[in-house]
Amino acid sequence: MKKISGTPLLKVRNLFASVEGKEVLKGISLDVEAGAVHVIMGPNGSGKSTLAYALMGHPHYEVKSHLSKVKSSIEIGNTDVLNLPTEERARAGLYLAIQSPIAIPGVSVMQLLRTAYQLLHIEQSQKINETPNIQNPVLVRRWQANGMGLTEFVRRVKQFAGQLRLDESFLSRSVHDGFSGGEKKKVEMLQALVLAPKIAIFDEIDTGLDVDALRVVGKGIDVLRRQKTGVIIITHYNRILRYVTPDVVHVLVGGKIVDTGAAALAGKIEKEGYAKYL
Amino acid sequence: MQNTYKYGFHKPENYVYKSKKGLDRGVVEYISKRKNEPLWMQQFRIRALGQFYHKPLPLWGGDLGGINFDNIFYYISPTDKIVSRWEDLPEDIRDTYDRIGIPEAEKKFLSGVSAQYDSEVVYKSIKSMLSKKGVVFLDMDSGLREFPEIVKQYFGTVIPSGDNKFAALNSSVWSGGSFVYVPKGVRVDLPLQAYFRINAANMGQFERTLIIAEEGSFVSYVEGCTAPIYTTDSLHSAVVEIIVKKGARVRYTTIQNWSTNVYNLVTKRARVEEEGVMEWVDGNIGSRLSMKYPSVYLVGRKARGEMLSIAYAGAGQHQDVGAKAVHLAPETTSQIISKSISRGGGRTSYRGLVQIMMGATKSKSKVVCDALILDEASRSDTYPTMDIDEQDVSIEHEATVSKIGDEQLFYLLSRGIGKAQAESMIVNGFIEPIVKELPLEYAVELNRLIQLQMEGSVG
Repeated sequence: MKKISGTPLLKVRNLFASVEGKEVLKGISLDVEAGAVHVIMGPNGSGKSTLAYALMGHPHYEVKSHLSKVKSSIEIGNTDVLNLPTEERARAGLYLAIQSPIAIPGVSVMQLLRTAYQLLHIEQSQKINETPNIQNPVLVRRWQANGMGLTEFVRRVKQFAGQLRLDESFLSRSVHDGFSGGEKKKVEMLQALVLAPKIAIFDEIDTGLDVDALRVVGKGIDVLRRQKTGVIIITHYNRILRYVTPDVVHVLVGGKIVDTGAAALAGKIEKEGYAKYL
Repeated sequence: MQNTYKYGFHKPENYVYKSKKGLDRGVVEYISKRKNEPLWMQQFRIRALGQFYHKPLPLWGGDLGGINFDNIFYYISPTDKIVSRWEDLPEDIRDTYDRIGIPEAEKKFLSGVSAQYDSEVVYKSIKSMLSKKGVVFLDMDSGLREFPEIVKQYFGTVIPSGDNKFAALNSSVWSGGSFVYVPKGVRVDLPLQAYFRINAANMGQFERTLIIAEEGSFVSYVEGCTAPIYTTDSLHSAVVEIIVKKGARVRYTTIQNWSTNVYNLVTKRARVEEEGVMEWVDGNIGSRLSMKYPSVYLVGRKARGEMLSIAYAGAGQHQDVGAKAVHLAPETTSQIISKSISRGGGRTSYRGLVQIMMGATKSKSKVVCDALILDEASRSDTYPTMDIDEQDVSIEHEATVSKIGDEQLFYLLSRGIGKAQAESMIVNGFIEPIVKELPLEYAVELNRLIQLQMEGSVG
């Protein structure tokens, strides 16, 4: 197993999660370091997506342990976000690329990126002493975040879009409104690149993608890795692993991580399946 | 939920004349005499008064039980003369306008301002461009004085005084409003804008607008208003009549943001002749109850009518709004797009009529109404009526009701956007197809209003 140095950006301890009273995650612990790519594999119903949503704080998932003595935590940097609402987790540096994202008519991709970026990089934005929630087309000209004006920001967004081979026209379209499966995945990836989170989780990023799109998404993950973002890829098919070499592979079965290893573990599972863990 | 009205300040009342409360023939005659009106107008008013007494309150729509017709001033005149320069306005009136930012708006966009302060227009400036082209843009009282023949020819022809109880009321006590006349073939490129504001307790606003677009002409008229809060109910009952001649096009845009004690009962109708186009863009954000159904009567072949409307109802509000399209000639088309948002126990109703008369062959109509409900306490209803007397026509009707989806909200939250802002983004996105039809400053203001409503009412 390849050794990764540095203190983990994400530290999960004893995470439990229930959906409608049914316990799906049964004590997950996980460390993800800056620039590391972790893959979480597992059969259907093993709790992979639940892990993604529980980390992001989706209200449908109750993260209380049935064993009261166990203390759970989700630390990002030095903040325990376990009891924080979703938006606070995002502001702490967590990003989730959603598997089948829903459309938001009338809200353009650029507007979403602009609004989110400013909120996520609020310390650097504060010097302009302006409320960050600007939707006013006139005031938008004064948009500034992280020492960047809007023109510079737009230029960066377009550059990332180009790398993902996403036509610039998508930036002015409503978020995921009428997008194909591949376009949705690219727009989720684009947000990860632009928003530069500490930890990015990709839930089934490889389903429904053709080879070209898989390659593009793989390139996106490489960029994130270089940006020192810690990456978690959740996958059922592991097709993405032909384009990304992970640092760590975890096997999730029955709500528990039952095996952890280097990239080779993924290949082994592809050949042998999950039988030995069941 | 505390719903504080942003523009809820009001200035000390300073009026030259205030009629007594209540309505009788004496009040109507006084109004007419004071305005030095021709006899026909006085007779029109008196006949309308009889119709007002005679007509029952509508039994459908919203709850009108809170209106006490005896407790309303029917005429107020803030200043004796109409001024045309900003500096000549009384200071407290200028101050009021400053607070709603009118001078800045004027500098940028206005081609002419006719601002109504209570019942009479006190401030107007008309750029020379308009008069050079022969375009008339006056307050209705001046219009009647300066162009009595034109007014007499069209006044009350699109909306007869006996059309409904509130049209009759307006016809008997109307004051102010705009008179617009666009000569044949003239295009007015900048929108004509009128701002007005109620500032007298218990005062009714009964402005009357008449727009005549001659053959092949074009004009866009924009009105928007804000009003201060009062402890007693206030009545706003306007009448807007528009005549669109052959091949002409008129766009009429309203953003209504009355304070939430105002009854806003407005009759708006356009008669559209051959190949003419009428567009109503209607935003209803304020008022306690609005009942407003902008209408088109398509009387000439290939006439077209479009109605876009947005309604927002918060706590204690009922927006009963919609549109009417009456097809009286062949190959006429109408399109009605309505979007409504209700939250905090607010209620929106879409009420619409599409009527295709015998002989209006090959006519087309499309109605789309979408409602967004933000919480369990709120309500939305749809009352569409189709009355089709012709076979060879095309009618489409789509209606959707949606709630802000948990998944949409979660998506935006997961991007670091707070709940209130996320909701306002979703709502602003929902109304975006209509907002983009508005002049820029109105679009900005509407987005801001929605945002304030969202953020002011969370928690």
